[in-house]
Amino acid sequence: MTPEIELRGVTKRYKTGLFKKPVQALRGVDLAVRKGEVFGLIGPNGSGKSTTIRAILGLIRPDSGNVYFRGDQLSATCIQQEVGYLPENPYLYDHLTLSELLKFCARTSGLARDTASVRSGELLARLSLDHATRRPLRTFSKGMLQRAAICFALLHDPSLVVFDEPMSGLDPVGRKMVFDLVSELKDRGRTIFFCSHILSDVERLCDRIGLLSHGRLIDTFDTGALTASRQGQVHLKVDRLGAEQRDSLAPILEGVTETDDGLLLTVFAANLAALAVRLNQLGISIQGSREDRLTLEELFMRSIQGGEK
Amino acid sequence: MKKILALANITFKEGLRSRAVYGIGLFSFFILGLNITVAGFFMRDVGKVTVDMNLSALSIAGLLLVLFVGLNLISKDIDRKTIQLVLTKPISRYEYIFGKYVGIEMFVFVALFLLFVISCLTVGGLSVVYEGYFQGFVWSNFIVAAFFVYVKISVLAAIAVFFGVIATSSFVTLIFSFCAYIVGETLDEVVFYLKSSASSSEVVISEGVKKVIAVTSYIAPNFSVFDFKTEAAYGLALQPSRVGNSLAYGLIYILILLILSTFIFQRREFN
Repeated sequence: MTPEIELRGVTKRYKTGLFKKPVQALRGVDLAVRKGEVFGLIGPNGSGKSTTIRAILGLIRPDSGNVYFRGDQLSATCIQQEVGYLPENPYLYDHLTLSELLKFCARTSGLARDTASVRSGELLARLSLDHATRRPLRTFSKGMLQRAAICFALLHDPSLVVFDEPMSGLDPVGRKMVFDLVSELKDRGRTIFFCSHILSDVERLCDRIGLLSHGRLIDTFDTGALTASRQGQVHLKVDRLGAEQRDSLAPILEGVTETDDGLLLTVFAANLAALAVRLNQLGISIQGSREDRLTLEELFMRSIQGGEK
Repeated sequence: MKKILALANITFKEGLRSRAVYGIGLFSFFILGLNITVAGFFMRDVGKVTVDMNLSALSIAGLLLVLFVGLNLISKDIDRKTIQLVLTKPISRYEYIFGKYVGIEMFVFVALFLLFVISCLTVGGLSVVYEGYFQGFVWSNFIVAAFFVYVKISVLAAIAVFFGVIATSSFVTLIFSFCAYIVGETLDEVVFYLKSSASSSEVVISEGVKKVIAVTSYIAPNFSVFDFKTEAAYGLALQPSRVGNSLAYGLIYILILLILSTFIFQRREFN
C-alpha cells in the first residue's frame, strides 16, 4: 500500500549566518507514514522534528532526497487541501476574533458557508471555545490560543493532521480535550503525524513511533511491540545486596539499578516468585515494588545515548 | 479570487485595528489644521499654498500609513511565523502576495479617502473665506492630483511588499522602503540637474556617477510623474496624455513589483 507520507533520504542544512557554520538539521531521513495510522516523532530538542514537519508541509525544500504524498512528489501535489497543521507556537492573527479567524479559514479552504458553520460549531463546543467566538484573539490565554489553532487546523476536516507539540501550554483539562480529539480523529481513520515531548501521550496515542536524534531517524517501532516487550517487567526495591548475593541472583534478574535510597531489581513477572523466595532465603526484605511504566522514556534515553555514542 | 479577497479582508481589518492608525490620523489632522492657520500668512498665494499643503499632507499621511502600518501587515506575518499557518491552507503563494497587497491598498484607500474628504472641507472653507485668491482653482484638478497621490502611495505599498518578501526583518524592509521613497521623490530633480550641468563647465561629474544615476533612473520609481500639484494649485489644463501615461506607469510598476515579489516568494523557505 502506498504510504500517505514518505520521506526518502531527506537532508536539510540551514545557513545561520554569513560567517557561521551551517547547521545540519536532517541527515538522510527515510520515513513512511501509513494511511490511517498515528505516527509520533520523538527526539531531543534540536533533533530535527520541526524541520521534518516543515519538509512534509512544503515550507522548506530538502537539499537532497524527496518527500512524497500518496506516492506523488510533494511539489506536484496539493497537500494543503488535505492537511491540517498545528505549529508548536501558533501565532494567529490576534487582531481578529475567533469567529473571524474561522471564517477566513473556511473561505481559504473553500468550505461552503453552511458546512463551515456546522463544523466550527462542533469544534468550538468540543474544545470549549464556544463562549469566546466574539473575543479578539489577543485577549486569549495560551491554552485558549492553542485550542483556537487546533480549530483552525481541523475546520476543513483534513485527512492528514500534522501536530507539533499539540499539548504544549494546555492545562490538564485542555490536554484531555485534545487527547480525546486526537483519539476520535484516529477512530475516524485520519492519518496523524505528531511530535511531542510528552512521551506518555505519544505512547498512548501512537501506532508507531520514530526516534530522531541529530537529524537521523535512529529507530522506528510499533507501540504494540513496545508494550509486549515490557509486559511482566517489575521493579523491586531493596535496601542492600552484597556482591555474592548479586551474583547468585544474576540468572533471574534483568537488571540492578542503584538509587539514592537502595537498589532497584528488575525482573520479569515469570521470575518474580523465584526471586522473592531467593531474597527471603538471603534475608533481604522487599521495600516496595512497581510495574515498569517508563519503557518508552527509558528506550528513548537509551536510543539517544546509543545514537550519541 | 475568493482566497485573495479573504486575505485582503483580514489584512484590511488588521490595518484598521492597528494602533498606529490613530497616531497617523492625529498627525494628519494637525497638518490640515495647520494649513488653515498658515494659509492666512500667504495672502496672495493662499490658494496655491492651501492646495499644496493639503496634497502634501495626504502624501505624508500615505507614506506614514505604508511605512508604519502597511509594511507591518506583511513583515509581521513572516517575523511571527503566522505565514506558516496560512501557507498550509490551500492558498498559493501568488494569492498570498496579491491578497496582502489588495488588503493594504483597501486600507490605504479608506484612510486616504477620509483625509481627502477633510482636505476638501478645508479647501472649500478657505476658498469661501479667501474667495478672491481661489479664482484659478479647479476642483477636478484637485481631485486628479489627490488621486495621483493615492497612485504614488500604491506604488510605495508595492515596493514595501517587494522588500517585505526579500528582507529578513521588518526593520530592513522599513529602511529599504523609505530609501526607495526618497529616491523616488528626488530622482527627477537629480536627473534634471545632471542634464543641465552637462552643458555647464562649472560642475564636473564623473562619467561613472552619471551612468549609475542613468541606470537607477530606469529602475527606481519616479514619483514626480504623479505630481499634479502645480496643475491643481493654478488650475492649469490637465493633459490627457500625461494623466494616462502617469496612470499606466504606476499600474505597470505595481504589476512588475508584484510579479517579482511572487517570483521571489515562491522560492522562499519558512524555517
